[in-house]
Amino acid sequence: MKVTICVGSTCHLLGSRTVVDRFKALVEEHHLTDKVELSGKFCMGKCGEGVCVTIDGVTHVIQKDQADEFFEREILAKAV
Amino acid sequence: MNDERFIDTGYISLLKHGEQLCGDRVIFTSNENTRIGVLADGLGSGVKANILATLTAQILATMSVGGMSVEDCVNTVVRSLPECSVRRIAYSTFTIIKIRDQRYVELTRFDNPHTIVLRDGKNHEFEYRSRLIDGKPIYESRFEAQVGDVFVVISDGVNFAGLGGAYPFGWGRDNVIRFLEAHYDPEMPARRIACTLAEECLRLYEGMPGDDTTIAVMRLARPHTVNLMIGPPSSADLDGTMLNAFFAQPGERIVCGGSTNKLAARYLGKELTASLDYCDSDLPPMYHLEGVDLSTEGALTISRVLEYAGEYLSGTQLHPRWEHGRDGAAQIARRLFEKATDVNFFVGCAMNPAHQNPKLSLAFGAKFQLIDKLSKRLEEMGKRVTVRFF
Repeated sequence: MKVTICVGSTCHLLGSRTVVDRFKALVEEHHLTDKVELSGKFCMGKCGEGVCVTIDGVTHVIQKDQADEFFEREILAKAV
Repeated sequence: MNDERFIDTGYISLLKHGEQLCGDRVIFTSNENTRIGVLADGLGSGVKANILATLTAQILATMSVGGMSVEDCVNTVVRSLPECSVRRIAYSTFTIIKIRDQRYVELTRFDNPHTIVLRDGKNHEFEYRSRLIDGKPIYESRFEAQVGDVFVVISDGVNFAGLGGAYPFGWGRDNVIRFLEAHYDPEMPARRIACTLAEECLRLYEGMPGDDTTIAVMRLARPHTVNLMIGPPSSADLDGTMLNAFFAQPGERIVCGGSTNKLAARYLGKELTASLDYCDSDLPPMYHLEGVDLSTEGALTISRVLEYAGEYLSGTQLHPRWEHGRDGAAQIARRLFEKATDVNFFVGCAMNPAHQNPKLSLAFGAKFQLIDKLSKRLEEMGKRVTVRFF
């Protein structure tokens, strides 16, 4: 599963770093390093409402404090 | 043979232990053909010394830029300085160094320690002529500089380092020269030369300088161009024009901003990638694009470079944050402040919709203001700067 997080200016200001850090930690915690590939991505053109996260080509816009909840719902549930 | 030259300048002041203000003052300035450095050391320390040194340095720098004679400069300083109520004298020592056409050096000194000149990494002795101006002995020297020459202007706090401790009267000029020769590296930027010597002084003073200690360095270097592109052009029709202009320039290339990097990647036919390594910084991570030297995020990174530029010019930090950092701003800062002699900005004028978002700390026109301020800062550092808009 390929998960990309936007590291452009706007997403950065809206907390992409928090999302990256939480995802990295959660991937480790759930022993998913060989199943989930995390990488950075450039602006996906949906700036301003939250942090843009793409899972296998589908873009989601999330708030930084929803990172854990989102991870469980969209990544953990589908990766295991 | 290409004999193009450039003058790299940098300085550092260490405060006398317990003081909040520096009694030494350095000003670098230029007119069309001359780069000027002034170091003034005000009598005493703290507020009084700071006022004396600031006034003296400012008068000397302003008058020298205007091409006034040494006599006029000294006269004006003598008549303008306020008298110390305790000592009944108005006093600030000074050194003025002028380098015309990157070649002709004129040194003028009143009561400051001898300026040290390194040529090919070795101490270069030169003749001084002395005369009295307003009853004050002024030492003057003129000679022709060579590429690689390093001029080290110091306040007496440098020679006195170690006083009362390792050295009863301070480590002295001969040891300062030996230290500079031993640490000579032809590629070392002026500011680092100053900081390396300051670090040793601080060590000799055991972390508590007994006097304000200032080192101002001017160095004759070969030119080095850095080109920085930020923002897509105002219209897509101009993409080719901007990219052609940017990639036609010799020198290093830095591309800032996600969309701008995408344009450059398409132009080069290379893949653009973003890392998730935050390099212990709160800035967005670095990008990577084959064919350019640095690829980074835009507005946030450049705002940080601007902060670093202010710190560079303040001459108060021995170990600035940008000196070793791996983040984009630190890497840009090192290239612009320490390597570049010429900086060309290529600024695309497209409005970035993200900068309009009231939830974010970016304002409309942020990019233009940033580049405008940064180019002014770089000019203060003595760099030749051009800005082109697309």
